[in-house]
Amino acid sequence: MAQLHYIRIDEERCNGCVLCMKACPTKAIRVRDLRVARIEGYCIDCGECIRVCPRGAIKAITTWSNASKLSPYTVISASPVLYTQFGEDIMPNEVLLALKKAFKYVYDQAYTHELFNLATELYIKENREKASPIWPLISPICPVVNRLIAHRFPSLLKHVLPIVTPRELAAREAKKRLRHEKVFKTEDFGVYHVTPCSAKMISISSPMFLETSYLDGAVGIHEVYDLVTKNLQHLEEEVMLHRSGGVGLGWGISGGEIAGLDEGNCLAVSGIQETIRYLEKIEMGLFREIEYFEFRTCLEGCIGGPLTVSDRYQAKHTLQRLVRLFGQEKRPKYASAQKAYEEGWFFAERKEPLLGEQEKRLGIREAIERQQRVEDLLQKLPGKECGACGSPDCQTFAEDVAEERVALAACIFLRQGKKEGDRP
Amino acid sequence: MPYLKKNFGIVPLDFVKAGEISIQVHGLLKTIGFEAALIRRVSVCAYESEMNVVMHGGDGTLSLSVDSDSIVLEVRDEGPGIENIDLALKEGYSTATEEIREMGFGAGMGLPNIQKNADAFEIHSEKGRGTHLKMSFNVKSRRE
Repeated sequence: MAQLHYIRIDEERCNGCVLCMKACPTKAIRVRDLRVARIEGYCIDCGECIRVCPRGAIKAITTWSNASKLSPYTVISASPVLYTQFGEDIMPNEVLLALKKAFKYVYDQAYTHELFNLATELYIKENREKASPIWPLISPICPVVNRLIAHRFPSLLKHVLPIVTPRELAAREAKKRLRHEKVFKTEDFGVYHVTPCSAKMISISSPMFLETSYLDGAVGIHEVYDLVTKNLQHLEEEVMLHRSGGVGLGWGISGGEIAGLDEGNCLAVSGIQETIRYLEKIEMGLFREIEYFEFRTCLEGCIGGPLTVSDRYQAKHTLQRLVRLFGQEKRPKYASAQKAYEEGWFFAERKEPLLGEQEKRLGIREAIERQQRVEDLLQKLPGKECGACGSPDCQTFAEDVAEERVALAACIFLRQGKKEGDRP
Repeated sequence: MPYLKKNFGIVPLDFVKAGEISIQVHGLLKTIGFEAALIRRVSVCAYESEMNVVMHGGDGTLSLSVDSDSIVLEVRDEGPGIENIDLALKEGYSTATEEIREMGFGAGMGLPNIQKNADAFEIHSEKGRGTHLKMSFNVKSRRE
């Protein structure tokens, strides 16, 4: 059964090199016969393959790329990463105004970040009072992290903070606010998230913790970039659309979310490999002294997202400027956030998350036997990790052979009768 | 009975690679599909014993043996040996150097933690000759 994901490999452009297969953190890609790369395993939409493909053959599908145009009645809820894409002289409000020239309703999401920070503080305090609290809590913000956990670390699902994410809260509130407008009932109406992230489509079409998403679609920053750049030249309207302080803006950089927490022993980790390493260690029982983990699978945080235009370090610099400029105070009032928290504003009915595509479940005996077969096969393999067999590394190749997905003869070293140690 | 055995070499004083073996053990047990709580206990023991070898020097090996009833970890090293095993089993007792403590290790919780998490635990050590640690775990609840 094909599993749903929003990464497409253009088979015309792909020349069957192994770069995407090597970069894939879930080892989902195979390049059989070195002809064309195909996603065969569990894809978490992280976008690592998009980044490494030298031929631009891999793309993320968005609502925009599917529809090629959005109605002007679309509601736009922008990730603050968008504000970092136009240089340090362009203020967040100008970016929002530029969007507003094309779309009737535009909302800033950064303010909701600050509300979310306050709710997290309250949850951490509450958790400390519990008889057997679960530590560390894990930020629910990065959809790739959520999928990684469901797929590879399901025992950590209960660590994910059960608060609705700011993007979803912002969309829910936008819909509430506009529900009396005439346009609300038309087909054109929808709340769309402008995002640096290739995994927002999947998190909207099949959310992990919500029954259904409050968002209707996602648009890549790269897709509105030209439009915003053009509209920035002719800004007339003077409305204040940007409401957050520096804290909410800072979320675009790794560490930005926890920088907004006045409570808790926190740690921020970015990059896909680093994230996996830390999740492994948490699953092993380490880091019990940490109360809250912020994970972002994109290096340096969301400013490093695959759908951005600006260089991540340039964007980081711009964002740091903005954070300084708008200050380290959160704009929402603590008391009102606390009241909303108590009234359940931050929560939604949580559905049981679907676990990743599970391998066919073997009994322990069969699984040990299979693993022994894999270990025996590994002994035969050269350990060159070349990928010429069409599997990402020798370990995965051994597993593929054990599962009879590929023949052992696909290893070019074995075909030549050579093994590790056969050096000239 | 299906049976899996795998050996790993531990490099003393390599704090960059430290922990790597326990991560591999953890991954292997997960692939086989043992219960999460059992895997965590084995991983904690693998981690603590791996770190002991890394900290106190001497080449070492960790071997993992798995069958459907039990998991056994054996760690042997050619390190300095433990002078007083009873003391080493006390929480907070440590002979780690100042340097190692500055890195955040050597809190004297390793062996006590192993004792707590393993179902059976044997330790043999001779000063100047090295240490041999054997930890066993029962696979009680099987999947399905």
